Amino acid sequence: MVAAKKHVPIVKKRMFPIAYPVYDPCTNRFNRHQSDRFKCVPSAWRKPKGIDNAVRRRFKGQAAMPSIGYGSNKKTRHMMPSGHKAFLVQNPKDVELLLMHNRTYAAEIGHAVSSRKRVDILAKAKALGVKVTNPKGRVTTEA
Amino acid sequence: MAAERTNISNDLIWQITRNQNAYLVKRNSGGGSQFSRDSLNLLNKHSFKYAGYANNKAVGVQATANGGVAVTSKKPGNPQQPAKNQVTVSFGPNTGTRKIYKGVADKTAKNGYRGDLREEAVARVSAIRRSQKAKKDTPAQKPRGAQARKAAEKDSE
Repeated sequence: MVAAKKHVPIVKKRMFPIAYPVYDPCTNRFNRHQSDRFKCVPSAWRKPKGIDNAVRRRFKGQAAMPSIGYGSNKKTRHMMPSGHKAFLVQNPKDVELLLMHNRTYAAEIGHAVSSRKRVDILAKAKALGVKVTNPKGRVTTEA
Repeated sequence: MAAERTNISNDLIWQITRNQNAYLVKRNSGGGSQFSRDSLNLLNKHSFKYAGYANNKAVGVQATANGGVAVTSKKPGNPQQPAKNQVTVSFGPNTGTRKIYKGVADKTAKNGYRGDLREEAVARVSAIRRSQKAKKDTPAQKPRGAQARKAAEKDSE
């Protein structure tokens, strides 16, 4: 007799599948043509205008030029991997603005906010169910 | 002169103030967001529909200091005296949430008073009530990796 194997579900079934917009990072950087060859040519994008320019004529093996097709989906634009958009917050009152938006926006504490005020902000965010993107900054101390 | 002009429309007030007003909070991060600090704004969203200061009829739901909920609405009668026009009904911390829903829904939607805001008003009550509940502490993180192995070694000794 073989003992019955315990059933292990491979994928947990979701009860209510909802089509949420999915985060889709587009990290392509477009560097200016020949910025890799000359120190005096910065990488900030400039469209090549020359009559013979290979990049402008889109030859094989050349660098790609930016175009509207590289744009990300409007529904997921500015979205962080968690699915939230960031909203800069300096005090607990700013967090209150996100009370009705805690599924679309996450609070991001400004870099110059002191550790004392960060504690207040974090407490407020927890009460309102608002995600904070940088909760550990200045609050946790090294042991 | 200015005191005679009682018939300034809501739309005009909005058109004048939509670019800049004391309640507006703008951010460039997250693709440029606009929020409103107006206490008569149910969603804190910068738009004409929810702008309490620009509408003769508006509803605001706020948490009170004692753990209850206060519902404010505007009397459409005399727009020149905004402070006198506000009516506040407060619900104590021990009032049942469903009872507050009912009160708020009736206040917003009955007698033709901003029926379009009913859902948002009730949703805001719900969010406030949830925020007033005591929250559990975040559980301490379990050690992982090298730290976990170290802890296991200590236990076995």
